[in-house]
Amino acid sequence: MTESVPLTWEEVARVYGRKIYNFAYRLTGNGDDASDLVQEVLLRVRKGLAAYQPGSFEGWLWRITRNAFLDDVRRRNRRPTAPLPDEVDRWDLASVPSADIEYSRISIGDDVQKALLELPIEFREAVVLCDIVGLSYEEIARAVAVPVGTVRSRIHRGRKLLRESLI
Amino acid sequence: MTHPGELISAYLDGELTRAEIQQLFSHVGGCGRCASELEAMQRVRAAVRSLPLLELPQGLVPEADAELVPLHRNRGFMIGAAAAVVALVIAVAALVTPSVSAISVDELTSRYGARASLDPAFGPAKVVVPHLVDIVE
Repeated sequence: MTESVPLTWEEVARVYGRKIYNFAYRLTGNGDDASDLVQEVLLRVRKGLAAYQPGSFEGWLWRITRNAFLDDVRRRNRRPTAPLPDEVDRWDLASVPSADIEYSRISIGDDVQKALLELPIEFREAVVLCDIVGLSYEEIARAVAVPVGTVRSRIHRGRKLLRESLI
Repeated sequence: MTHPGELISAYLDGELTRAEIQQLFSHVGGCGRCASELEAMQRVRAAVRSLPLLELPQGLVPEADAELVPLHRNRGFMIGAAAAVVALVIAVAALVTPSVSAISVDELTSRYGARASLDPAFGPAKVVVPHLVDIVE
């Protein structure tokens, strides 16, 4: 874990932007939503850095990131023009290769991404923070504000559901 | 016997104590179901980790830009600041005279951190202007 604190939000953007984007992409399944989320997170970082107290910077950053993601999910769910079926359809599109040239065209990658999107959010974010972002259970616990035992349980249950989807 | 379940994923992630690892393997050794779950979890974990790390879309993150003023310096001594001090020390060294040296170096150390000019481990400043250390003392 990196304990040194970047000086500016621009440095946060340069050091963590790609990780935040990958976190967001794997959670949402599409590049546009991931880009929006990165911008929202950087905005919150810019506002919050002045009040940041020395401590676990990554815990702070990932708490901001997952809160921004959850706020976005809640906003979408509240939106009357976006009933659930549309939402499901939209998320199903995640399996369609985007314009992102980096996106894996290997079918197994598409399957894994699709299976991730089928996970309940709590499990999905725990698995992504662990396997994509590379945080320890303790760091995930701080970011998600749950006990480490809950993180352990969510990751294992998430992987069991992934196995059912992938087999 | 209770199946260890969650210990399997935690083991793969390096999150178990030695005692928990022993507990897990003493069970897995005699339980085909958990042995196959361990193997399956290993495959699932590897599959997720094999997803490619995507590049940031161009223009999403600001490039280094002089007009963007830092909002807040929290703590620590970052490379950029260290480089600035080195540059400043070099500039002072070029101009330094006995009459101004003590004051300017004191100011430097108080404003930009004593480490940059005093810490023996901080090689560049000392190498570039070794006489500055003498001036401070």
